[in-house]
Amino acid sequence: MATASDFNPFQSAPKGENTFAQITDNVTRIMEAPRPPRAWYIAFGVALSMLLVFFGSLGWVVWNGIGSWGTTMPAAWAFPIVNFVFWIGIGHAGTLISAILFLLRQNWRTAINRFAEAMTIFAVMCAGVFPGVHIGRPWLPYYMMPIPNQMDMWPQFRSPLEWDIFAVSTYATVSILFWYMGMIPDFATFRDRSTSTAKRLAYGIVAMGWRGSSRQWHRYERAYLILAAIATPLVLSVHSVVSFDFATAQLPGWHTTIFPPYFVAGAIFGGFAMVVTLAVPARQFFGLKRIITIRHLELMNKVMIATGLMVGYSYGMEFFIAWYSGNSYEGFTFVNRAFGQYAWAYWTMISCNVIIPQLFWFKKVRTNVWATLVIGMLINVGMWFERFVIICTSLTRDFLPASWGYFIPTKIDFMTLGGSFGLFFTLFLLFCRYLPMVAMSEVKAFSPAGGHARPHLHHGHDDAAHAHH
Amino acid sequence: MNKKLRVVSERSETPRTTDTISAKPTYWRSLAELDQTPAFLDAVEREFAEPLEQIPPDSPGRRRFMQVMGASFSMAGLAGCRWHEDKILPMTRRPEGVIPGTTSRYATAMELNGVAHGIHATSYDGRPIKVDGNPLHPDSLGAASTYHQGSVLGVYDPDRSDTVSSKGGAGREVSTFETFDKAAKEQFKKLRASRGEGLRILSERTSSPTLLALKDRWLTAFPLSKWVTFESLGSNGRAAGTALAFGQPHRVHYSFAEAKVIVSLDADFVAPSFPSGLANARGVTKGRTPDRAEMNRLYVIESAFSSTGAISDHRLALRAEQIKAVAAFLDAEISAKANALPEQGAGQPKPAGEFLNDAKVQKFLGAVAKDLLANIGKSIVVAGLHQPAEVHALVERINVLLGNTGRTVFYTADSADSVTSDVAELKALTDEMAAGRVTTLLVLGGNPAYDAPSDVDFAGALGKVTFSVRLGLYEDETSQDATWHVPAAHYLESWGDARAYDGTISIVQPLIAPIFGGRSALELLARLLGEEPKGLELVSAQHKGLLGDDRRFRKAVHDGIIEGTAFERVSPKLTPLAPFKLSERETSGTVGNGQLEVCFAACPKLYDGRYANNAWLQELPEPFSKLAWDNAAVFSVATAKALSVADGDVLTVTLGGKSVELPCIIVPGHADGSVRLALGYGRTHAGRVGGKLGTDVTPVGGNVTRLRTSAAPFFTAGLSITNHGPGKRLACMQDVYTMDVIGSEGIAERLPELIREAPIEKFREEPHFAKHMVHQPHELNLWVDPVSYEGHKWGMAIDLNKCTGCSACITACQAENNIPSVGQENVARGREMLWLRVDRYFRGDPNDPEVRFQPLPCQQCENAPCEQVCPVGATMHSHEGLNDMVYNRCIGTRYCSNNCPYKVRHFNYLNFNQEVIGATPYTPSDDPKMKLKAMVFNPEVTVRSRGVMEKCTFCVQRIQNAKIPAKNAHRAIEDGEIKTACQETCPTDAIIFGDLNDKKSRVASLQKLDRAYQLLGELNNRPRVHYLARITNPNKELA
Repeated sequence: MATASDFNPFQSAPKGENTFAQITDNVTRIMEAPRPPRAWYIAFGVALSMLLVFFGSLGWVVWNGIGSWGTTMPAAWAFPIVNFVFWIGIGHAGTLISAILFLLRQNWRTAINRFAEAMTIFAVMCAGVFPGVHIGRPWLPYYMMPIPNQMDMWPQFRSPLEWDIFAVSTYATVSILFWYMGMIPDFATFRDRSTSTAKRLAYGIVAMGWRGSSRQWHRYERAYLILAAIATPLVLSVHSVVSFDFATAQLPGWHTTIFPPYFVAGAIFGGFAMVVTLAVPARQFFGLKRIITIRHLELMNKVMIATGLMVGYSYGMEFFIAWYSGNSYEGFTFVNRAFGQYAWAYWTMISCNVIIPQLFWFKKVRTNVWATLVIGMLINVGMWFERFVIICTSLTRDFLPASWGYFIPTKIDFMTLGGSFGLFFTLFLLFCRYLPMVAMSEVKAFSPAGGHARPHLHHGHDDAAHAHH
Repeated sequence: MNKKLRVVSERSETPRTTDTISAKPTYWRSLAELDQTPAFLDAVEREFAEPLEQIPPDSPGRRRFMQVMGASFSMAGLAGCRWHEDKILPMTRRPEGVIPGTTSRYATAMELNGVAHGIHATSYDGRPIKVDGNPLHPDSLGAASTYHQGSVLGVYDPDRSDTVSSKGGAGREVSTFETFDKAAKEQFKKLRASRGEGLRILSERTSSPTLLALKDRWLTAFPLSKWVTFESLGSNGRAAGTALAFGQPHRVHYSFAEAKVIVSLDADFVAPSFPSGLANARGVTKGRTPDRAEMNRLYVIESAFSSTGAISDHRLALRAEQIKAVAAFLDAEISAKANALPEQGAGQPKPAGEFLNDAKVQKFLGAVAKDLLANIGKSIVVAGLHQPAEVHALVERINVLLGNTGRTVFYTADSADSVTSDVAELKALTDEMAAGRVTTLLVLGGNPAYDAPSDVDFAGALGKVTFSVRLGLYEDETSQDATWHVPAAHYLESWGDARAYDGTISIVQPLIAPIFGGRSALELLARLLGEEPKGLELVSAQHKGLLGDDRRFRKAVHDGIIEGTAFERVSPKLTPLAPFKLSERETSGTVGNGQLEVCFAACPKLYDGRYANNAWLQELPEPFSKLAWDNAAVFSVATAKALSVADGDVLTVTLGGKSVELPCIIVPGHADGSVRLALGYGRTHAGRVGGKLGTDVTPVGGNVTRLRTSAAPFFTAGLSITNHGPGKRLACMQDVYTMDVIGSEGIAERLPELIREAPIEKFREEPHFAKHMVHQPHELNLWVDPVSYEGHKWGMAIDLNKCTGCSACITACQAENNIPSVGQENVARGREMLWLRVDRYFRGDPNDPEVRFQPLPCQQCENAPCEQVCPVGATMHSHEGLNDMVYNRCIGTRYCSNNCPYKVRHFNYLNFNQEVIGATPYTPSDDPKMKLKAMVFNPEVTVRSRGVMEKCTFCVQRIQNAKIPAKNAHRAIEDGEIKTACQETCPTDAIIFGDLNDKKSRVASLQKLDRAYQLLGELNNRPRVHYLARITNPNKELA
């Protein structure tokens, strides 16, 4: 295994000793097994219960009013928007891995890109719930859509929330297309190996008649490249637009030009942390250790150090600019963040996002599965708090001291937050069980047996199929 | 079901004869019809022969009923569901003088503590919906207080008593007026025979000439009966004090506008609970306009922060009991130097004592005395009503010596004010009742079972009275033990009369017939006397002599006052005063736990507890602590530190062995060693808002009357406290819990920019100081201005020099704009909906701070940050410069609030009107009592649903109401024609609204004043509200 010092970013995937057949076996047996491992059932049970809590809490909120949450004045945005930004951020790692790393020929991405993409889609779904239900009249979110109507109502395009609608929906569409298209060859493999008619039919439909011909591979790769090129700016744009919700407002602590790059860096940081959090148990329970190797985890940890430092730099820069601008309201907001009533949240954020990830400078930590998992989870916590700090500290103490307040969450707030993880994990566990968790065709292209060059990719599919029969 | 079917039957009104049916139809719907079978004909016949509602649904006729209905459906050709139907009664012939859907205003008056306040009540289609001041009335001058503004909600209070009740075996039994009248007739027949032996009447203080005449007739008819007056907050200090100083009791009236130096000795003379308080407020602030004239100088020495203290130039916080020594000190100084005549007697010996030796106190009092002496004939010294007679005597002596009589201070000799205290009268009555000497008791209003001091067991003694009648708006604490409870009519439901503090008579006219059939005190007494029991007749007969013909009576009713009925002003002669003894306590310095002074004060919201069931007033924040829905023990910063108590701690306060549990609130500027407790809380039989035993509505706040004694009902010493640590989150609307260091520093840093102020010297030197306080760079707009304001351009100016923080504007706004009350829990969370807030800031040393108020409506920014961020265009700029809220369009993203630098937007987090209007439009409230609550709504303002944003509209409905008639008459709107609700009620004229395009308008000229500034104008929002900087007039010696 390569050490950190001789790591060449342009080299091929980490070398697991896999033949094509082994790769196919490894991935398809999860779907083929009559029963998933016990751990899957336990996890699925937990996730499903949390999902129930999610729907229960949202039902409660829709029925009684959003006052069931602790959201109040002046903190008119609180948990739901924190959760929204948090989940949108999580999604970014998936797109980064599948699009940007693809364009940069970072071939090691192949082992993790599929479930990173799945994670993106599920995260965007979790995020997508919140703008709809957080509004006061959750039965009217379509007022924000440019739908011609008899009321002659039209959205107000100066509002960044309107920009959000388009940014997030574009992002969701492209992500789903990208994810689905990447899965087509693997669906074909599943179809070919299915033993029951139902499965064959189901996978056959979603495989859309994939036969693995040269022409199909040619079209596939062109399309993949184009989608990657389309998705790449989205990685940067979506979170930039989300950050505009805050940056274009005139609230001290929000009205900051650093927000777009800061939000994107934070999103990738948090997204990778989530990939790691998912990858560690997945490789453990589904026997994918040979495909998702320690080396993959280590590389992701390195990305986290890099983006974590960017985030830390942004935190520092905000303070510097608040002081340098000479704006007393701005200056107060940042001192208040660090030492005011929400200091506990601020220092949780700093510890989880800036201090603890520094442990990744040590190779021992970086290559330790448990350390990776724990630190990844802590970064998730830190990133949630980052959004909490931005939203709640700024809103609760703005210009006029007489309108200052304090936000206290209710039980329903925690149920919705916890429940959104239920939605995420339920979808993710279903994905693990029924869909190709690893992009077999892509992994094969970069496995020793497949050589290093992309044009041979199609052999992977054919050979694997032959080898099995 | 039954109801729906009835509708069908009513539709077929044309009686059809059997003949027409039996004739073979050309067109038929069923074979039965074609064949005209007997069963069919029978069914058809029955349908029209007997009304359906006469068939009981469960009788054997039910089957028949269904058959008939089946037939009628087929006959009528009707099928399918129908909406729930309500019938309306169109006024096809309009009664003369009534235009449906327009409002009209009627003059009437509301009496509080024996003083009338003239009001204009707005009536919409026969129901009063709003109350404002009567500009002709000497105590109102057009202004109204929180009490008046809130009183209209009481008309539609579903908890008001709606039936006569009697004491039964187990609690109250519902009865009727007839039964009561019969019982009372019998009882009073006996009493007439015994000349009123054992008959007592307990009344609230009243100035009503008709009632007082009835009282005389009553005492003639029942010579052995006794008439007792008790008012929980009624004090006799002034009457007794003027009696000491002048030989007989006098009323004191002021002309604050003429005074140059004003000294208040624990007197909140601008408060609505002070006689002529609102007129005083107008006067004193009129003398504080720095733009044209010289300013008066106001010194306030007081125990707790008051509105008067808030507008003062110099303030000294002393315990209430120390005021006597202060008065003696001032008298000594002034008597020595003002050349008192020999017959006026010598001044008090100069008092000495620990607190008087304090350098700061000496300097302060020395400066006050010097300033008074330098302004002979142009000063006023005024004492708090709760202060003892000695203080009042000294204060009047000082006023006379300073030559103020006839210039700034006026006296009227009035025998109505009793020299003996109300509490003493009540105590004597209770003793009689307990001894069984009272057989019949009439309790006219009031609530003595709740607010009698702890050593007067009125409730217990009431049980011993064999025949007691309680006339009350609510079946409250006092009604529980009365043999009869009779529902009273609200003042907006009854005829009456009352006198202003200066004696001017107002006619009280009803706006609506008694909703629950209640009786006024006049009607009840007249009936018991066997007289004509009609209010109007009683009142018009009373004033026949004065007014003569009916036309003049009608004019008096129309105007709301009878001109020329004020008491005659007199110039009483001073009688010498013997030196008063000062106890050690009255001159002592600091006091510790166990020796604390306690002051029982009128609540600025609930008064003495009579408004405890008024949600508007319960939700109003107390001006200084900003606490709503609760009363608290109020401490100064130093006392709280010495006792180690903090904001929100739960305390047991004990006085004389009795204790009450209350939360702690620290108000900087409170007198050290003094604890203030607001009366009016802890009601056990108030209703669904204030608390009701036996239901899940727990009493709001703690009942501190339990600590009061008849010996010292207003303040006394010896209070001890025990701290139980932090309690529940208080419903404070500002500064929830103690501010941390960072927050306090931040406030201190930005406060000078928010509340701009300067001493008058600086203002004269540098008139534009307020404009230059913050650098306002020329900034570019990202967007083109949406409108050019070719027609009107509405704007507002708020004078910080005039605002006393009284908060009447808040309740006026709530009444005008249908703002819901959200309850204690939601206020504690910060979800209050009040469109207008009055921000309160303390300034300077926490031990000796000044307070600043800043009313904050929506600033109606020209470059509004809220408008730019709404994704659905629910808040838009009108062509006249208002930020309009389109409730229908609002989906509730709340982004507008986040981007509002003033945070004046309020969001319906829950359906705060649910119990009144129902959960959804499809599930309206069926509770008739809840529907009654909806009657107070202003029909011109949308009642907002859950999930929408709302905010101040500059009372857009009032703007439209002025625009439409002006346009119809082809004339321009006059300046001052449109008044916003907050402006109209403001006692000090601090809020001015108008058209900025009209260069001659008041608001335009005020906005052009040197001291006008924009709040946070540097953000380039271009707010339409301009504040006028506060200018103080400090004494150089005390600077």
